[in-house]
Amino acid sequence: MDLASFSHFCTQAAGSGILFYYTGDFSQNVVGAMSDTLRQRLEAVGASGPARRKVFSAFIEMAQNILHYADEAAGGGKRVGALAVGMSGDARFYVLCANPVRVDHVDRIRARLEPLRTMTMDEIKLAYREQLRNAAHDQDEISRGAGLGFLTVAREASEPIEYRITYRSGEAHFAEFQLRAAI
Amino acid sequence: MENLYIPPTNETPEVRFAYSENALHVSGESYPENAMSFYGPIRASLDRYLDTTAGAGHEVEAHFALKYFNSSSTKLIRLLIAMLNGAAAAGRSVVTHWYHDPDDDMMMEFGMDLREEFRMMEVRIVELAAA
Repeated sequence: MDLASFSHFCTQAAGSGILFYYTGDFSQNVVGAMSDTLRQRLEAVGASGPARRKVFSAFIEMAQNILHYADEAAGGGKRVGALAVGMSGDARFYVLCANPVRVDHVDRIRARLEPLRTMTMDEIKLAYREQLRNAAHDQDEISRGAGLGFLTVAREASEPIEYRITYRSGEAHFAEFQLRAAI
Repeated sequence: MENLYIPPTNETPEVRFAYSENALHVSGESYPENAMSFYGPIRASLDRYLDTTAGAGHEVEAHFALKYFNSSSTKLIRLLIAMLNGAAAAGRSVVTHWYHDPDDDMMMEFGMDLREEFRMMEVRIVELAAA
């Protein structure tokens, strides 16, 4: 990246209210370092206690989702992804994540996320409680924790969560999954 | 039975099960990479304690003062509380204290959900003094 491009990148980021951005591989050490940084950033911009908690919670769920589910084959043997947190206007925040997923998992991801977009907060809290009390998924490798994780993100959000699945031409095995939560 | 002590880390809570005093404490934050590896031994230890002291008749006091826990910790923390409730169902006197910050509605609601679900023991929701 040359200086002109970097300048453009920084201007874009600042204009979008970016507080934190990371792209690369995910490990618990990386997640730990990111959480410390994020907490400092949120305090520096004067986020309220409740906002800080919700942003942090959505962030950790997304980060650990990448940590557990980003497809390693797509990342050259590593779990890779991207995360961003930003401020949009008056005391509102957004948390974004992206990671590669196997094409044959896409339907399952859609099946879990699409219903969340039309649920009321009360329905989300009810689904959360049910998922919490249901031990049946514990043995299911693919969905280990995923249900409660997405429900947690939905619970912290102030609007329906948004997601996108993008296919790249020439790439038959992986797609890019993106998620956005407005806090 | 030897008391259980696990010092806190950035991502895991302090666990202080003072079995000799029948007082159990979990405090801090919980977002380990693998919640099962962290909570598995804790659950096994608690299970042994409840099992071996079942007949002794001492009241058990549990204190949960958590500032944050991730989704995978949530299930396992709930399971610890379910075990305490199970002991109460078997006739033991158990009091569980659930602490929350005054502006942390989510944590308070979680405590209230626990109280509603686990009725064999006493669950006290305690608001911490503002920092």
